[in-house]
Amino acid sequence: MLNEWLLALAQFLAAQEWSIALHESIYAYAWIESIHVLTLTLFLGMLVIIDLRMLGWAFSRFPATVLAKRLNQPMLIGFAIMVVTGLILYYAIPIRTTQSIWFRIKVVLLIVAGINAWLFHRALRNRTKNWNDRGVPPLRLRAGAGLSLILWGGVVFAGRAIAYDWFDCHKPLTGLMFWAAGCVDELAAFEAAGH
Amino acid sequence: MMDLLSFFTWLDTSWLAELSKANGGVFAVVQMIHLLALTVLGGMVLVQDLRLFGLVLQNVELRVMVGYTSRWFDAALATSVVSGIFMSSAVAMKLLYNEMFWAKMAALLVGAIFVYVIERPLLRRTGDDLRVVTCRLVGASSLMIWFTVAAAGRWIGFS
Repeated sequence: MLNEWLLALAQFLAAQEWSIALHESIYAYAWIESIHVLTLTLFLGMLVIIDLRMLGWAFSRFPATVLAKRLNQPMLIGFAIMVVTGLILYYAIPIRTTQSIWFRIKVVLLIVAGINAWLFHRALRNRTKNWNDRGVPPLRLRAGAGLSLILWGGVVFAGRAIAYDWFDCHKPLTGLMFWAAGCVDELAAFEAAGH
Repeated sequence: MMDLLSFFTWLDTSWLAELSKANGGVFAVVQMIHLLALTVLGGMVLVQDLRLFGLVLQNVELRVMVGYTSRWFDAALATSVVSGIFMSSAVAMKLLYNEMFWAKMAALLVGAIFVYVIERPLLRRTGDDLRVVTCRLVGASSLMIWFTVAAAGRWIGFS
């Protein structure tokens, strides 16, 4: 049911004048995608530095919470730009993106990374007193930082993979893959064929 | 030009090209590693430039800052170059005649000279005694150069 709803939303967006204009533009789409990719350096660049500090691998003589606080603002500015440009990119190509297994993996990883960030900040607030000036933070924070790096690396991997058509709906996929990618019509045809 | 032509002709038929052309999955993974290296490289450049502008981490000494960022910058640059050569091997002859590729290579050369010959020695030697205007000039130059490298790199895909 969810797949049908998502596809209906994508089809509604795809019929919009602005969506078609963006999709067919010569430079606008390319510029927005470039901004989306280059802002990685601002958002993820700052996040990587904070996580590396939490792991004790960089900026180790600088208090970890102070570093996180100072780099938080540029990181959030980068995040805001990435969200806005990301939404525009989705709006420009809604149907193919909705039916991309990689986009779906990316969204799941984003949600998990968000939960991890929330838990991490909660742990950070509760456990800053004794270790802040030392090189290496407690294990729980290091694990959170390591997980953050892995999850965001996964987001970049999945995001880049959206460009590839390996598992697009027109490919001969399994029923499970058709379902996971949200290929509604292809799954119906697959099941009607007696698979 | 002849040397470049012979290099790219060699690259186009090398074992690297065989691997990258025949294995779309391997190429994609290397491309993603290239993107992750760009993230780390860009992050280190940005944090140092923002510090030079006095926008973040003002109380970290410039000498200390260079010490922190240089190791990760070097590792990210090396990863970018190695993954970049592999990616180039898949489309070597196309790149030879691609203006954006050469714009990126020129900007990359300028960036490497800027970092290793000007910026790093200057910040290591002078540190926080550097005049504010010089700090900002160095930061602005660095931002412009590395933005050009990254933007030209992205544009290779569109050209």
